[in-house]
Amino acid sequence: MRRSSMAWVDVAATSLADGVHHVELDDGRGIALLRRGGQWWALRDVCPHQGARLSGGTMRGRVAPCLPGEEISLNDEEPVLVCPWHGWEFDVVTGRSLADPCRQRVRSYDVKVEAGRVWVQA
Amino acid sequence: MALQLIDTDVHNYPASMATLTPYLSRHWQGYVEQSGMKTPAASMYPKVFAAAARRDAWPPNGNQPGSDPDFARRQLLDEYDIDVAILNPLVAASSLHNHDLANALMRAVNEWTAHDWCAADGRWRGSIAVNSRDPEASAREIEHWAQDGRFVQVLLLVRSHAPYGQRQFRPIFRAAAEAGLPVGIHFGGGGDVPITACGWPSYYIEDHTVMSQAFETQLVSLVCEGVFSELPDLRVVLIEGGFAWLPALLWRLDKNWRGLRSEVPWLTELPGDIVRRQVRATTQPMEEPDNPEHLLQILDMIHCDEFLMFSTDYPHWDFDAPDRALPKQIPEVLRRRILADNAAQLYGLG
Ligand code: FES
Repeated sequence: MRRSSMAWVDVAATSLADGVHHVELDDGRGIALLRRGGQWWALRDVCPHQGARLSGGTMRGRVAPCLPGEEISLNDEEPVLVCPWHGWEFDVVTGRSLADPCRQRVRSYDVKVEAGRVWVQA
Repeated sequence: MALQLIDTDVHNYPASMATLTPYLSRHWQGYVEQSGMKTPAASMYPKVFAAAARRDAWPPNGNQPGSDPDFARRQLLDEYDIDVAILNPLVAASSLHNHDLANALMRAVNEWTAHDWCAADGRWRGSIAVNSRDPEASAREIEHWAQDGRFVQVLLLVRSHAPYGQRQFRPIFRAAAEAGLPVGIHFGGGGDVPITACGWPSYYIEDHTVMSQAFETQLVSLVCEGVFSELPDLRVVLIEGGFAWLPALLWRLDKNWRGLRSEVPWLTELPGDIVRRQVRATTQPMEEPDNPEHLLQILDMIHCDEFLMFSTDYPHWDFDAPDRALPKQIPEVLRRRILADNAAQLYGLG
C-alpha cells in the first residue's frame, strides 16, 4: 500500500551518470536511484535481508533461465539491482527479490523527469 | 562492564607483499623483490565479487578490502560498537612448496598482525598464523607468541593436505594446548587434493556450500585420532563452517562409536560429549531456514549453550551484520552468550 501522503520530491539533476546512486530525502530516508539512459528507477536504499545499502550494488541485466550447457545470456530489458553484500538480486521495477519474490521485497518508488530534474514519489 | 559484542572472525589482508616485507629478513626481502611473488592465497574459483568482499569494503585508497586497519575500524568496530574482534589473516603460507619461505612468511604475517593491527587499536586481537606443512616450525611459532596477550588463538585452514587429527600435525595442537590457546580452524585453504571427496566441483556455489564437508572431516579426524583425549585442555573452534550439520554428524558418530570403539580404544567416551566439551563454532554464515524456529531446534539438538560465538566475517561478501543476523526468536540469555559471553570465556577476554 502506498501512503497517501506521498508527494513528488526533487532528488537529482538529470545530468546524473548511468548507474546506481544514493540520494537522501529530507526526512532521512535513503533512496537508491538507478539510471540507464532515459530510464530511471528508485528503490528504498535498505536491503530487506540484512540492511546493506543497495546503492553500493550494481545494476545489470537479469540472467535468463537456461538448461545446463546452454549459452547463458543476459536480459538487459529487465535489469536487476545486485546487493553489495550477499548478492541478492532485486527487480528494479517492483523491488521484488528474484529468489523469493513473494516474501522478500524492497520498496520501489515511481520516478519522473520534469523541468530538467528527477522526481521521486516518496 | 561486561563485554557486549565480540566478533570472532574478521580478516586482515596485506595490501601486497610490500606490506609484509618489512617483517622479512634481508634475504627474503631480496627474494620476494627479485621474484615479484604475490601474496599466496588459497582460492580456486572466481568469487561472486572481487576479493570475495562486500562491495562497500574497499578502502578509499583502492587497496584490498581488509588491508586498511583504520578503515576497517570505522566500517566494522565503530559502526557496530564491537568490543573485541579477532583477526584471522588468510595468507596461505602453507600453499608454498618452499617451506623455508613459508615459515618466514608465517612469522612476517604474525609480526604484521601484531604491529600494524593490534597496536593500532586495542580492540583487535590476533590469531597466530601457522604453516601446516611444517608442524614443528609451527609449534615454535606458537611458543614464540604464547606470552603475547594480543594473540588469542592459533589459526589453521580447514582444507588441508591431510586430516588434522593425524600424528604429523600433533605438534601444533600440543603447542596450542600448552600455551592455553584454542586452535581455530577456518573456512578455506587447500592441499594437493580435490576440495571434495568426489573430486572438483564446477561452481563457486558448490565450493562455498560443501565447505562443511571439510569441517566434518576435520572434526571426526580430531576426535577419532584421539587428539582431544590426549590433550584434554585443547579447545578447537570451527570458524565459518556453519553448525546446522553438527547434530546429524554427532548422532552418526556416536552410533558408530558404540559398535566400532574397539578400533579406537583411546576413545573412552561418547564423541558427542567430547565435542560439546572441547569444540566451539562461530555463527557466520548463519544458516537461514525459512522458519527461524528450526534454528532454535538445531541449537537445542547441539545441546550446549556455550557452543556458538558470534562472527561477521568482515570484509567478505557473506558478512553477517551484528544487528540483523541472529533471529529474533533466540532468547535473551542465549543471545548474550552468543554475542559475547561464550567468546569472552573461551578466549579469556574482558
Ligand atoms: S543484505 Fe542484501 S543480500 Fe544480504
